[in-house]
Amino acid sequence: MSSLLPFHRAILERIHDPTTSDLLILARGLGLRRIICTMMKVYDTPGSTVLLVNATPEEESEIGEELGIMGCRKPGLRVVGHEIGSKERQSMYLAGGLFSVTSRILVVDMLQGDIPTDRITGMLVLHAERVTPLVLEAFIVRLYREKNTIGFLKAFTDEPEHITSGMSPLKNIMKELHLRTVHIYPRFQEDIKKTLERRRADVIELSQNMSESMADIHHAIIQCMTATLGELKRSNSTLDVDDFSVENAYFRSFDVVVRRQLDSVWHKTGPKTKQLVTDLGILRRLLLYLLTYDPFQFHAYLETLIATNTVTVMGVKQNRSPWMISDAAHVIFEVAKRRCYVVSSTMRAAQVEEEDDDDELWNTVDEITGEVGETRPKWLPQGVEPVLEELPKWNLLADILEEAEADILQMESLRKPSASPGSNVVLVMASSTRTCTLISEFLSTRDASAAKGSQARPMMMHKLRLYLWWKRKLSERKQDGLPGFALPDSSGHGGPNQGYERMYGGKEGISAALQRKDKEKAERAASRRRVRGGAPAAAESSKRPTSVQAATALGTIRSEANSIADFWAAQSTDDLDAALALALEDKTLVNFESMEFESEFDSNYGLLVPQQTVLVRPYSNDSDDRMLAELQPRFIVMYEPNMDFIRRIEVYRSSNPGLSLRVYHMIYGNSCEEHKYLAGIRKEKDSFQRLIKERATMVLPIFEERAANSRGEAIIKTISTRIAGGRREVTTEPAQVIVDMREFRSTLPSLLHASSILVIPATLTVGDYILTPDICVERKSLPDLISSFNSGRLYTQCELMSVHYKHPVLLIEFEEDKAFSLEIVSEIKSHAKPTGKYPPRKNGGPGESEYSSPMLQSKIVLLMLSFPRLRIIWASSPHATAEMFADLKANMPEPDPRKAIAIGAEEDPDAGAGVNAAAEELLRCLPGITAKNVKFVTGKIKNVQELCEMSLVEVQGILGIEPGKACWEFMHRGEGKNS
Amino acid sequence: MPPQPAQAPPVVIPTGGGSAIVVSPLQRGNPVLEAIRNVPKEFGDIVCDYQVGRTTGVLFLSLKYHRLHPEYIHTRIEKLGLSYSLRILLVLSDVTEHRDPIRELTKMCLINHITVLVAFSVDEAGHYLATFKQFEHKPPDLIKERVDKDYDSILRSTLTSISKVNKTDVETLRTSFGSFANISRATSDQLQNLPGFGQVKVKNIKNAFEKPIRNNA
Repeated sequence: MSSLLPFHRAILERIHDPTTSDLLILARGLGLRRIICTMMKVYDTPGSTVLLVNATPEEESEIGEELGIMGCRKPGLRVVGHEIGSKERQSMYLAGGLFSVTSRILVVDMLQGDIPTDRITGMLVLHAERVTPLVLEAFIVRLYREKNTIGFLKAFTDEPEHITSGMSPLKNIMKELHLRTVHIYPRFQEDIKKTLERRRADVIELSQNMSESMADIHHAIIQCMTATLGELKRSNSTLDVDDFSVENAYFRSFDVVVRRQLDSVWHKTGPKTKQLVTDLGILRRLLLYLLTYDPFQFHAYLETLIATNTVTVMGVKQNRSPWMISDAAHVIFEVAKRRCYVVSSTMRAAQVEEEDDDDELWNTVDEITGEVGETRPKWLPQGVEPVLEELPKWNLLADILEEAEADILQMESLRKPSASPGSNVVLVMASSTRTCTLISEFLSTRDASAAKGSQARPMMMHKLRLYLWWKRKLSERKQDGLPGFALPDSSGHGGPNQGYERMYGGKEGISAALQRKDKEKAERAASRRRVRGGAPAAAESSKRPTSVQAATALGTIRSEANSIADFWAAQSTDDLDAALALALEDKTLVNFESMEFESEFDSNYGLLVPQQTVLVRPYSNDSDDRMLAELQPRFIVMYEPNMDFIRRIEVYRSSNPGLSLRVYHMIYGNSCEEHKYLAGIRKEKDSFQRLIKERATMVLPIFEERAANSRGEAIIKTISTRIAGGRREVTTEPAQVIVDMREFRSTLPSLLHASSILVIPATLTVGDYILTPDICVERKSLPDLISSFNSGRLYTQCELMSVHYKHPVLLIEFEEDKAFSLEIVSEIKSHAKPTGKYPPRKNGGPGESEYSSPMLQSKIVLLMLSFPRLRIIWASSPHATAEMFADLKANMPEPDPRKAIAIGAEEDPDAGAGVNAAAEELLRCLPGITAKNVKFVTGKIKNVQELCEMSLVEVQGILGIEPGKACWEFMHRGEGKNS
Repeated sequence: MPPQPAQAPPVVIPTGGGSAIVVSPLQRGNPVLEAIRNVPKEFGDIVCDYQVGRTTGVLFLSLKYHRLHPEYIHTRIEKLGLSYSLRILLVLSDVTEHRDPIRELTKMCLINHITVLVAFSVDEAGHYLATFKQFEHKPPDLIKERVDKDYDSILRSTLTSISKVNKTDVETLRTSFGSFANISRATSDQLQNLPGFGQVKVKNIKNAFEKPIRNNA
């Protein structure tokens, strides 16, 4: 951990005071994490309880690690998740210390009184930009301030771009967090500017042009986007079209803007408009993929797109995206294919008769690809000529690495090791892990002796092979609809028995290799852990022996894999025609393993030899700061532009005086990448300016003691004048609602609490909300409603409610700001989950509407006929629900939590607390598993993977003979017969 | 709907148990009548507006009308008394300020043992009425736990139950791994290498498959 820079210290001095509460807005990349960690360390004194709220799991572990490095170890930051039982949590809170608590659990703990709210010393809220009145964090702060007015609350954000919604976004956030002071630190702030501009890094900006075919595709995609946008404007006269430009469409937020405008009329918009909105998203992604994916992946993605677009759902032919049938799209598909290979059917047919011609042809092919003398691989199908275009940045990267290497050598020869700190690691930064694997694959297989533009040929050949394998499987599926993928295609090709034998042989080899690989992986993980946390210099020596060990193990595996590959190669030459397909499949499988392994090896162990190591990493969040500090690289290659990382480099440079740092900054000229980068900078600057303006004119809210006042009012209201003389005592208990634990993911509990109803969390087996001893409510948002109708869960739930309660109620809750109508149902995907936290899903195109709305209405009718006692509440928003609940509770006795919990809970007492909702949902969808037996199954198995590994008999043992068979067959359909 | 000044309708005594929806003469002129398709209708002297089953009675109320005559529905409910076992108030939501009236109606209906059903268009209302009649004797198999579907759609619905996974991804997963069990075994790296799979998606998939379903702590 490097020392704090002057501006860090200035910020800390202003906000560290534990008696005040502040909001800090810092530009991204300037080390917000460093400030947070320093503050947490300051607060880590015995007897204090400090909570970290709204951190993602990654951030939790990273902050924890960082605190550990800073010397805050015993016990350091403890993460409270659903794995920890409530008793244990209670004692932990009482003991005090630093905690990071999942919001959902914190709310429940606060409501249940498990956490002594009045004794909390302070709270740190991350991602303050996401706080809106509806999120859990606002609920937490409200609960906190209700009981604790002394403790501090510090909120942080480094994403000013997100603070935009509403009239005065900053004020809204501060209101929700009960804050009165805000500190804004953009990059252009005086202190920061002064600190960072004293020492500058040596930056070399490289603008690479796209290759001709890439430029063609790029152009065609832009054309498609313009056309789609135009179409969208034309078909919707109501839209505010000012923001609709191709420039804006580069950004993800564009989808959100369009959806927000369309949401209230979404049910009225035709499938065409919906299709257009989805298409824009796809096109935008294509633009990005064009620059980052290798030609084969890009082409394969396009093919998948086409395949899914032509698919017929439930016998109805879906309408295709308009852009796909345009001329520009044709260009995209054609050129994308031409980047990979050319099919020449006539030439190959002539091969047998005219050998000379063929040779000539070979030469031409070789000339094109720049590979003279290479023989044509056996696995290549007839008539496919590889083109194998490479991404231009690859070559540029190779050049840069050579240059850096030369510089390193030169410096070595000068022999001034003490003069310059830092290691000789060349750090290559890219946007995603996918790009990283691609780069490291390229670097490890690079043929340095080859000419420019063909250095990646070995890798590309490999990719071609993989692609052909994939393509074959895809088309196999298409033709006969057989689920059998890995099944050897014995029909048509001679000698099925032989094929099977080979399968066996291959499988054995593979599984041996797999086992070794697993072992290897574990070993590697162990060694990585050893490395982490230690100073780089110290770690270096300890790493070496491991590497040797690893290398030898690796060598054996590789040779093993190679021998299998060789074996197959030999086999396939024997009778090429018969076994071509088979061998191709198996060989690629083997190769895939070994190849992937190699690349992993390079990215993980590459740093062992410090002289010529190249480390490829994706951009991530603030943890990059620590990586820079640990690695101390002198050469950094930014494979893709990234504003945050440039700032990180500035900070890194400033905190390491005397370090000679060279940065290569790569960018595709005139591409969406460049536009995006520039627009991103502009956007951040604008948002900071807007925030500063708002701060100047802001009317600060004053927080009164809401709790005491309103509660009193509510009690007075409940005294009915009908009861003679208002006989009901004023000491009567406040209105209360029992809420199921799982419901805390939704916004309703927070709103109920806001309307001064006492919310009691409990684990309910029947229903979601218990309003009175007689009224039990099952809440369903629209997507939920559809999915639970489909799965039949709703029927079971209603059945249970009817048995146990006099007034079972189904609450159908629509979303705020969205159309209050069922017709939108046809659009929502059946699996979409309501989070309420994020903007509506963007990808719910009409391609996904499998269930038309009349279907849903019919199901509601059927439900009503089946349960005549069931009442339905139609709520246009969660706010409306809260009002209706209050109505229904008026003059009714309060529910008893103990009774409510006891109802229907015959087994599984610990449900609710630690449930992995995603896994349960997945499990429920499997055939043979119903809402009735899902609890039993979850008790039997650890995770879904375990279920998949079980044998038929074991599964039948859990589910019963018939359902077990159905389930097992579903899971294993499409595998080879011998598995 | 407003009780239209009907000119002495020829009232037919409901035959009972017939296949037709019995319509109260009060509903004459209601556009919803036009929207009831595929089911025969007949006028009859009944306490509700539409008798769509032997024990099912429906009252119809358009919010527009309710705004003008808020007392109307109360008199109707009073008249309804305790007849029918399934009592439905079909509300046509045809105003933009629907929140308060629906809230008020919901409360009233709960007290009077009436189920509210909200339709958002005349066509939808008609569809509801027709469906009630058609489904009168239908067993609830359609909404019970699903029986059997073809492999493809089960696989699709299963995998798309994981957040962020769409249909294209299901196809990709199937082509690359073969079976559900194989997908469950796939490593993060393998998943990451598939086109269209980002870190979040991979994480969601891994969570669903590998994280313990229930933690018995």
